[in-house]
Amino acid sequence: MNRDHRQELLDAIQQADRAGANAIIQDWAAGHSYQQVVSDLLSPTLETFGRLWAHRELGFSLATGYVAAKVAEDVLARLLEEAGARGEAQATLKGPVVLGNVEDDFHPLGRKMVGAFLRADGWEVHDLGVDVSPAQFLDAAEAQGARVIGASAMMYTTAKNAAKLREELERRGQAGRIQLALGGAVFKLRPELVATFGGDGTAPSAVEAPALFERLWQCATAQRGEGAP
Amino acid sequence: MTASTRPIRCIACSIFKKEIEALRAAGRLDLPVDYLPSMLHMVPERLETRLQTALAEARPEGAGATVVFAYGDCCGHMEELAEGPGLARSEGINCCEIILGSDTYRTLRREGAFFLMPEWALGWKQIFVNQLGLLGPCAREFMREMHTRLVYLDTGILPVPEAELAEASAFLGLPVEVRPVSLDPLLASLEQAAHAARAHDAE
Repeated sequence: MNRDHRQELLDAIQQADRAGANAIIQDWAAGHSYQQVVSDLLSPTLETFGRLWAHRELGFSLATGYVAAKVAEDVLARLLEEAGARGEAQATLKGPVVLGNVEDDFHPLGRKMVGAFLRADGWEVHDLGVDVSPAQFLDAAEAQGARVIGASAMMYTTAKNAAKLREELERRGQAGRIQLALGGAVFKLRPELVATFGGDGTAPSAVEAPALFERLWQCATAQRGEGAP
Repeated sequence: MTASTRPIRCIACSIFKKEIEALRAAGRLDLPVDYLPSMLHMVPERLETRLQTALAEARPEGAGATVVFAYGDCCGHMEELAEGPGLARSEGINCCEIILGSDTYRTLRREGAFFLMPEWALGWKQIFVNQLGLLGPCAREFMREMHTRLVYLDTGILPVPEAELAEASAFLGLPVEVRPVSLDPLLASLEQAAHAARAHDAE
């Protein structure tokens, strides 16, 4: 009997069962190349997961989001390990980008999930952690050559600090050249705040962050008068 | 009716109920209070609706009381809800900052503390398992990645729930620290909010 690995993987994530999810991926990979895991199993499953999670379907909790991100990290680690064993360079293809929670915000989960999904999608991610000042964001972005900053805030009170990050971008003449992605619970509840506080874009869930960062990277590249990377 | 004679009410999260009632019983706080369940925190949209209803009930036809919210920034429109003549909110991002004061709260958060207020410590399993879905190894992995320790904020009203804290510590894989806290920052926050609401009302 043919197994529906995508559904099984979705079920395991929904049950916050990281080990079970990885066993399902291993089983699928036994009949395929592990390189196909991302494109043929993980990405389609996470797309479905992201859709259900964004709509707060029953059974999709904070824990399931965490496990989905961990499973993406596990797959990436395995891919890097295999590439290393073959003597291939472990170079990432996209980025770099910078992530952090805005000043005074101490809620790391959403940011960590975004980082996991970006890395699994091949982005070089520099994660600055929680309570990051505008200057720290810009210093890191300029030092790394990042064209996208992802800033997270959970509440309105701390989301207001994203406006200071926008001011710092403007002050350093980096507006447009470095795009600002805003995310976190309050932006999900009130997406209009993204524009209010100077963001260039947002995504309805962490799973959809890679597509957002792709779009923003292209905007920054166009702003610099350069071609596609 | 002038601002100074207008009746004043407080709409508070039940997370503060024992502490506020202790302040009232000790004669340190003269403020009638309506409490809403703290579990509304888990569904901010529902909390917002309940707060709007509570506010409308406290101020029928716009001629009602000056209203103080004993809340953190717990729903998407909290700031707007507590804006306007005769309205104010206790200062602080969340209940833990209101209880601890800003400096202590930030210091502990930077150290990776996860706070347990007395009411939520007693119902920790309901929150972590039923609401957040943290089961089995996932609970430990998650908490250890995000935090360094549990900090129980002992406001001195209830006995420290040693058994529940030990169970939570084992389940979540983090050590627990019991931190005695004064009710003074909560009292100061409520008094400051009441003053601000009345001053705003008088403008």
